[in-house]
Amino acid sequence: MSDENTKQLFDKARRAAAAARAAGADDARVRVSRGREVRVEWRDGRLDRIRESTEQGMSLALFAGGRYSAHTTSDLRDEALVGWIENAVAMTGHLAKDPDRMLPPPHRYEGLVEHDLDLVDPTLAALAPEDRLRNAKALEEAARTGEGADKVISVTTTAADTDSQTVLVTTNGFEGTERSTGVFWVAQVSVRGEGERRPSSWSWAQGQHASDLPPIEGIGAEARKRALAQIGARQVPTGRYQVIFENRAAPTLVGHLIRPLSGAALQQRQSFFEGRLNEEVGSPLLDIRDDPHLPRGLASTRFDGEGMATVPRKVFDSGVLKTYFLDTYYASKLGMEPTTGQTTNIIWADGARDQARMIASLDEGLLVTGFLGGNSNSTTGDFSLGINGFWVRDGAIVHPVSEMNVAGNHLGFWKQLVEVGSDPWPYSSARTPSLRFTDVQFSGI
Amino acid sequence: MHSANEIFRDFAPEGARRDWTRRELLAAGAVGAGALLVPGFIAGCAGSGAHLTPPPPPGIAIGGPAGGGHFARFGIDGDVLRKVLLRAMSRGGDYADLYFQHKLVNFLALEDQEVNQAYGRVALGCGVRVLKGDQTGFAFTEDLSLPALLASAETASAVASASGRTAPPLEYVSPPADYYRVEIPWSEVEIARRVPLLQSVCERARKTDSRIITVRANLGDTTDNVLIATSDGVVVEDSRPMTEASVMVVAESNGRRESNGESRSGRRGFELLDGGRFEELAESAVRRTVVLFEATPPPAGEYPIVLAPGLPGILLHEAIGHGMEADFNRKGISVYADKIGRRVAPSFVSIVDDGTNPGVRGTLNVDDEGTPTEQTVLVEDGILKSYMHDRISAAHYGVSPTGNGRRDDYRFPPVPRMRNTVMLNGPHAPEEIIASVKYGLYAESFTNGQVRIGSGDFSFYLKNGYLIEDGKLTRPVKDANLIGFGPEVLEKIEMVGDDLEVFSGMGNCGKDGQRVPVGFGLPTTKCGGMSVGGVS
Repeated sequence: MSDENTKQLFDKARRAAAAARAAGADDARVRVSRGREVRVEWRDGRLDRIRESTEQGMSLALFAGGRYSAHTTSDLRDEALVGWIENAVAMTGHLAKDPDRMLPPPHRYEGLVEHDLDLVDPTLAALAPEDRLRNAKALEEAARTGEGADKVISVTTTAADTDSQTVLVTTNGFEGTERSTGVFWVAQVSVRGEGERRPSSWSWAQGQHASDLPPIEGIGAEARKRALAQIGARQVPTGRYQVIFENRAAPTLVGHLIRPLSGAALQQRQSFFEGRLNEEVGSPLLDIRDDPHLPRGLASTRFDGEGMATVPRKVFDSGVLKTYFLDTYYASKLGMEPTTGQTTNIIWADGARDQARMIASLDEGLLVTGFLGGNSNSTTGDFSLGINGFWVRDGAIVHPVSEMNVAGNHLGFWKQLVEVGSDPWPYSSARTPSLRFTDVQFSGI
Repeated sequence: MHSANEIFRDFAPEGARRDWTRRELLAAGAVGAGALLVPGFIAGCAGSGAHLTPPPPPGIAIGGPAGGGHFARFGIDGDVLRKVLLRAMSRGGDYADLYFQHKLVNFLALEDQEVNQAYGRVALGCGVRVLKGDQTGFAFTEDLSLPALLASAETASAVASASGRTAPPLEYVSPPADYYRVEIPWSEVEIARRVPLLQSVCERARKTDSRIITVRANLGDTTDNVLIATSDGVVVEDSRPMTEASVMVVAESNGRRESNGESRSGRRGFELLDGGRFEELAESAVRRTVVLFEATPPPAGEYPIVLAPGLPGILLHEAIGHGMEADFNRKGISVYADKIGRRVAPSFVSIVDDGTNPGVRGTLNVDDEGTPTEQTVLVEDGILKSYMHDRISAAHYGVSPTGNGRRDDYRFPPVPRMRNTVMLNGPHAPEEIIASVKYGLYAESFTNGQVRIGSGDFSFYLKNGYLIEDGKLTRPVKDANLIGFGPEVLEKIEMVGDDLEVFSGMGNCGKDGQRVPVGFGLPTTKCGGMSVGGVS
C-alpha cells in the first residue's frame, strides 16, 4: 500500500476526530483501517473458491461530558460520516457519567520502539493468481502422496495473503500507523477410518513474510499423517496421568490461563488471579513474557489499541505472576497504573528437549494433540476440555485416543508443570512449546 | 482496546478468547469445525454495538422494480443490478448473485450499576458471487458506486473462463411469508426508556440475592436489511429484526465466587423484554449462579445423561446438525455421508431444522441466497431423510435448496447452515425419564459445544446440572465437558419426553470463519453413556 493510501487514511481519521469535537465531544479516538485479502481454496484436484476483496472500516471512541460510547462503520463516505458522528455524540449524552473513561495521558504515547518490526513483505504484492493456485495445488499433492494416501477421501487447501494498514488518531495528540502483510497456507485432509468414521486433520503455517513459511510439501504431508494417525482412536480408563500437550495445541491452555489477567475480568470480580500479583501461581517452569517488539512477530505492534507505547514485560517469572493486562479504563477503576489492554506475542523461556525426546522418556501417559470444545471458568479457575491425542507407554505411542476430557483448576494445575519443550510453535502469536504435566485428571471410560 | 470486543473478551468464544490478531483470525477461519456458543456467558460479536439513530440512507433511488423498498437504502436501481449481474456473468458463469446489506446494531450495557457504555455498528456493503458448477468466485465491496460494484463483479467472474451470458429481466419477488414477530419496534423505544430498564434489571438481580457482587446487563437490537438479486432474474428483500438481552452476575459467599448468566433473544421487538420479562431474566441468572455454591464438578467417567428441555438441544446441533449440512456430505467428509434413508435413531426420534418458527432466533423469511425457508426434516421416526442444502449442494444432489444457505454478512459467500434445530416430542413423561435412571447426570444448561464433522466426536460444556441417584435429582453439579460419538449417541437415545421447549436465548454458531444466529430445542431426553469431564 502506498504513501497515498496512508495519507488518505490519516485524512479520514483526522476529519472524523474534528467532526466529533464539532458535534460536542470533548475527546475522540479514531481508528481507520483498510485491508486487502486474496484467498484461494482448492479441493480434490480443482479450484473450489476464490475470494478477493478490499475491506475498510472506521471505529470511533467518544468521550463527551464525562460519558463514553464506541462505534464502528464500514460506510466511509464523507456525507454519511458526519451525520453518523453527530448521532453518536448526541446518543452518548443519554448515558451515565463515567469519570474513569478518558484517553491515555500523552506521555503514554511516547517512546515508541524505534527498530523496524519488519511486518511487511514487499514480495507479496507481486504474487499472481497462478502463484496462489500453484501453492494450493502443491499443498494437495503433498497431502495425497506417500504412505496411506489410498485412504484419503478429500483434501481442501487454502493459500491466502493479506495486506492491511491501520491509522490511529486521538484528539490529545496521538497519530500512528501500522501496516502488516500476511501469508498463510492450510491443508485439511479427511481419511477413511474404522466403520463410518472419517477422521480429518489439518496443518498450517502463517507468517508476515513468505520466507518465514516452511517448505509447502511438509504442510500437506503433515495434515495427511495427522488424519491417518487418528484411525482407531479409543478411550483409556478414567484416571490421573502424566501428559504432554503438543506445542501447537498448548496455546489453547495458555489462552485460558491468560484470559483472567484482563482488567475487565479483574475489575468485574471474575478472575481467579485477583490479588495474586507477585504470588507464586505455577511451577518455576511457568516463565512467560509478552513481547510486542519481536521482529516479524504475528502480534507485534509499536502501540496498543489506545495508542500507548508497547513495552515487553514478564507475565510469569519462575512461576510468579508479574503483571495484569490493564487498559486505561479498568486500570483507573482498579486504582492501578495501566499496562496495556492486550496481549501480543507470548514467549516462553527455552526448554531443553523437543517433543520427540519428551515422549521417548515418558513411562506412561497421554500426548494431547488437539482439543474438542470444553471451557474454562475465569472466576473459579475450574476447566474441563475435550481432548484427542495418543496413549504413550515406555516412551512409544501405543494407540490414538479420543472422546476424553481433561479437567482441573488452573491454580493447582500450573504447579504440576514439570517440563517445557525446546519447540515453540512459530505459527501462532502464542509461541508455546510442548508442555509436560504430572498427575492430571482425565476422564474416559 | 476500548471496543465491544474488549468488553466481551471474557465471554467470547474460543477464537476471540485467544486474542486473535486479525492475521491469525484469517487462518482460524480457514478451518471450519462447527462450534456453537450460548451466551449469557458468551456474548456477541466483536465490534457489535449501538447506534441508536440510523444514519441517513446512502443514496436516492432512481427508479427500479416495483416493491424495491431497500433500493433507496443502497442507492441503486434495477438498471444497476442488471449491469452488475451481466458483468458477473461475462465470463460464462452458470449463476451469479448480489447480496446488498445494510445492518444497524445498537448495544447498551450496564456495568458497576450504571448504564455507562453504548456501542453502535453500521455494516454496509455488497457481496458478489459467481458459480461455475460447484466452484465459487467471490468478492465484496463497501463502496456501492457502480464502478466499484462492477470491479467486484469482474473479480468474482474470474472463476469462469468462457464467453459471456446474458441475464434474464429482473422480477421483484416478495418473501412468501413473514415469520418475524415485532409488536413494538426498537425504533419506537428511545434510549431514555432503555436506560431505566437496564437499571431495573440490575436492581432486581441485587435484590434477588444479597451475595451478588457484580451485575452486567446488555441490551442489543439489530435491523438487518438485505437485498438479493440473482441471475435467475429474482430480486428479493428481507428486513430482519433481532433482539438480544443478557445478564451476567458474580456472587460471593464465604470467600468463594461464582459467575453465570442468562440470555433472551428472538426476531422480536421490545415486547420480548417489556412487562418485567427482562427483570425475570435477571432473577433466573441469579438463581443459576448461587446454586453453583452448592455444586461441584461431577464425577469423572462415563454414565447416562438426561437432558432437560430447551437449551440442551445444543446436543442436536453438534451430534447431528453439522454433520447433516450438505457441503460436508457433498465432499464426502461427514460421518453422515451416504446415510440418507438409513436408520440412525430409535423410531420415537424425529429431528427437524426449521426456518419458519415465528419470532425465533434462527428464523428467516428467505435465506441468504433468496430461497424461501421451510421446515426441513432431518430425521423422521428414526430414519435419516434430508440434508440441509444451499444452492450448490442442491444442484449436486439434484434436489431443491432447503433455504439453509446462510452467511455472516456481505463479506462472505453463503454455505449450508442450520436455522432452528429441534427434536420433536416423544412418548415419555419427563418424570418417568428421570425416575428410570439409577445413577446419572441431569443436564440443565450448557455454554458451548463443538463437533468434528468427520470423526463424529462432539462435545458440549455443562454449566448447571444435578446428579441423578436412584431416580431422583440429588446434588447440583457444574463445569464439566461432555463428549460423545454423534451417531452412537443418537442411536442410543433411550427415551424422549413430551415437553418440547425451544431455547429462547442467544445461540451463535461458527463455521468456516462465519458466525450466524441459530435456535435449537428438545424435550426431556435420555441418552446412553457419554464421557463426563469431571474430577474423581
